[in-house]
Amino acid sequence: MKKELRRRMCVAAVILLVAAIPVLAHVGSPDVFYEGDAGPYHLFVTVRMPQVIPGVAEIQVRCENGDVNSVQIVPLRLNGPGSNLPPTPDLAKVSKDDPQFFTGSLWLMEFGALQVRVMVDGAKGKGELSVPVASFAQRTFPMEKPLAGLMVVMLLVLGIGVISIAGAGAREASLERGELPGPSNARRARIVMVVTIIVVAGLLYLGKSWWRLEDSDYQGRVNFYKPPTAETTLEDGKRLIIRARGQNPKWSERINMGEVVPDHNHLMHLFLIEMPGMNRMWHLHPTLAEGGAFADDLPTMPSGHYQVFADVVDSRGFPWTLVGAVDLPEINGKPLGGDDSTWSGEAISSTPGKDDTVAQLPDGGRMIWERGPGPLKATTAMDFKFSVQDKDGKPVQDLEPYMGMAGHAEFVRSDLSVFAHVHPAGSVPMASLEMAQAGLMGDGASMQGMTAMAPASGPMPAEVSFPYGFPKPGDYRIFVQVKRAGKVETGVFDASVQ
Amino acid sequence: MAGTISLQPPIQARSIERAYAETASIPWYIWCCMLSVLSAVVGSAWDISWHETVGRDTFWTPAHMMIYLSGVLAGIACGYLILSTTFQKDSRLRDVSISMWGFRGPLGAFICAWGAVAMIAAGPFDNWWHNSYGLDVKILSPPHVLLALGMTGIRFGALVLVLAEMNRAEGAYYRKLERLLFLSVVFLMGMTVGIMQELTNRVLMHGAKFYLVVMFAAPIWIATVAWVSRNKWAATIMTAMYTAMHLCFTWIFPMFPAVPKLGPVYQNVTHLVPPDFPMLLIVPAIVFDLLRQHTTMWSRWKQAATLGAAFLVSFIAVQWPFADFLMSPPSRNRIFETTNYPYFIPSTSAWVRNVFVHTEHTPGQFWLKMAIALVVSVLMVRLGMAWGEWMRRIRR
Repeated sequence: MKKELRRRMCVAAVILLVAAIPVLAHVGSPDVFYEGDAGPYHLFVTVRMPQVIPGVAEIQVRCENGDVNSVQIVPLRLNGPGSNLPPTPDLAKVSKDDPQFFTGSLWLMEFGALQVRVMVDGAKGKGELSVPVASFAQRTFPMEKPLAGLMVVMLLVLGIGVISIAGAGAREASLERGELPGPSNARRARIVMVVTIIVVAGLLYLGKSWWRLEDSDYQGRVNFYKPPTAETTLEDGKRLIIRARGQNPKWSERINMGEVVPDHNHLMHLFLIEMPGMNRMWHLHPTLAEGGAFADDLPTMPSGHYQVFADVVDSRGFPWTLVGAVDLPEINGKPLGGDDSTWSGEAISSTPGKDDTVAQLPDGGRMIWERGPGPLKATTAMDFKFSVQDKDGKPVQDLEPYMGMAGHAEFVRSDLSVFAHVHPAGSVPMASLEMAQAGLMGDGASMQGMTAMAPASGPMPAEVSFPYGFPKPGDYRIFVQVKRAGKVETGVFDASVQ
Repeated sequence: MAGTISLQPPIQARSIERAYAETASIPWYIWCCMLSVLSAVVGSAWDISWHETVGRDTFWTPAHMMIYLSGVLAGIACGYLILSTTFQKDSRLRDVSISMWGFRGPLGAFICAWGAVAMIAAGPFDNWWHNSYGLDVKILSPPHVLLALGMTGIRFGALVLVLAEMNRAEGAYYRKLERLLFLSVVFLMGMTVGIMQELTNRVLMHGAKFYLVVMFAAPIWIATVAWVSRNKWAATIMTAMYTAMHLCFTWIFPMFPAVPKLGPVYQNVTHLVPPDFPMLLIVPAIVFDLLRQHTTMWSRWKQAATLGAAFLVSFIAVQWPFADFLMSPPSRNRIFETTNYPYFIPSTSAWVRNVFVHTEHTPGQFWLKMAIALVVSVLMVRLGMAWGEWMRRIRR
């Protein structure tokens, strides 16, 4: 009974936390990490997104080759109007300590699907790549108390000042040289001051109402880009229906879920994570049903409370992660097939500072997280490298592309406030990346594409890496998925981030 | 002392005052305030063009500096004027100053100082606004309105400084000051019309809302200047000066090459985007002056009703067909400059496609708003008349 009560309390806590999740794209992880080629130059690009739009994004570019002379950056729309007329590029500054590390700032002036184009010049000539970015405001900031105090003082000075000026003007302004104000002047001044007080009060009221309206309008835009709710229903005991409902009533008017675009072969990537504990995970691919809903015949799975994360990319290239929760009965469903996959194991570690570096795979092999020494730091861009070994400890030779890529990784914070679905090319959705590529000319496009996808032929290396950075400290679970000999294998690592 | 005639002090003082009133030169503080206002006028027009062409890449643009220089200049000049009038017992302005909070100085100096404080207050407010809601790319936002109130305060203060001096002056000195009076009102009208420019785009000129907005912004200054000046063509002269100033911006800005530094970019911008061709306010201003000369004996409200209605009707009569012209290919040249669009305006917008936007959806809405515009025009003219009459009495 106590166990059930605890479970329900955990579920309630999870639901509350989900309701408090502030941002999407993915969820709680707005910064963009990308690894790709700009012509002959291999780059690692990080875009630190601003909290408000229009706002300034910080761009960091690291070149692997060591022969880059200059880097220019410029923002554009991802596609359509505004994607073909770049403004004057900004020259990124080269680091004093590392001549292959460049930083710059870009104003992102609009909400929606944008791209940051990176143009490189170096010993091997020129190259360029484009990084899709989801531009949206994450929050509004209240006025700090000292500033609020200063503004109140200024307001009082201005308010009392204008009333006093009006009174003094009415009393004395029309007097001849040297003439002293009489009782009638004083009476007129009092009347003018009373009228001015009323006018000032009226203007302050109007100003406050206008401010409230502006705030409400902006808050509506913030809500528009918050993760839509994944509303789930179960039909026939095994068919899961998912509908998206935006946090702003206008969301469903503007975003047509019937027009989402395929993202590495699938319209939707659905992750069901059993809570609490995250000790089971399914990566499924529902198909489009009627009315913009998505449906999937679930595989066999035990009853439980499941967290829902569902990734889609809309027709403009903007990524959305639908967030929700569902209580499922035991499902006697279809066997896993296609690109669907699952994992089950131990619950997420709650031991502070416990970091896993080795994950056992079902066939006796191992997945090893080749992380450096020292603690993991939040907001630091890293290359997460994982090598896959067979049961004899040798690098595997039979890795295959999984949905066109060497691997997939999902980073989930223990409180579910962060969810990021990352690929070897980074945190950008592949569908958006393809749109960004379309605007590139020459070698840049082809090279960028080659990096994003797995090699078309030849054996794949037994190592896969993901560029990413934890957005904030906490306990995370990392699901790393690769495909070996036709079977998807998932390695799971728990990480404590400072 | 034989052979000398001793003048009684009051007579002597009056004579000196009269001589001063006819021959004096414009005081330094009026020049300072006019320079401050000019700096804000040019800075504001340049800043809007900069935002439309380059985008705000930094706070430290030359246009921003010109705007804030205006506040600094007016604040220092008027602050010094108030302090010197307060503490120098032999100050020439002591007898023609007002007192407030223990300080003495011309009324206009206090108004200018208030404007400077409002501009300073708008700085941190605007900065916080950008941090909280993002950089506002529109003219009408609460912190911008506070800044505009400050700029208006300085302009109004400069006008009152001119008026106090002008109303005590005579002869050539009066005429010199009257020219500054016209200029001061031009700057004020430029402010109120300019801040409404998002609502006065040419695509809106076939909607009643446009005329309502213009009636809020323009007739008050036309009436004010007509009532405060002794010149029977005051409204026409002031509006002609306003139009000339606006045309200077429209024609000079495109001469300077510039490209966007922010994106996304929807228009291929190669030079500073100028303000739109000025509205034809000169026509209703002429009608206003003509009618005023024939209605001087009427009651104030009857006069206001006639002038307000005439202003609106004559404005519609010229601006409505002129809007058709501005939308047509013959206007797309260096004279009318109708092919300049800010970099952030998509090609699908009504502005770029030269399509009128109808702000009223039914004839009822249209005529109701037009009726409101008529009432506003009459009230603004009456308010301008009252202001003008009050301004004629300003001595300090």
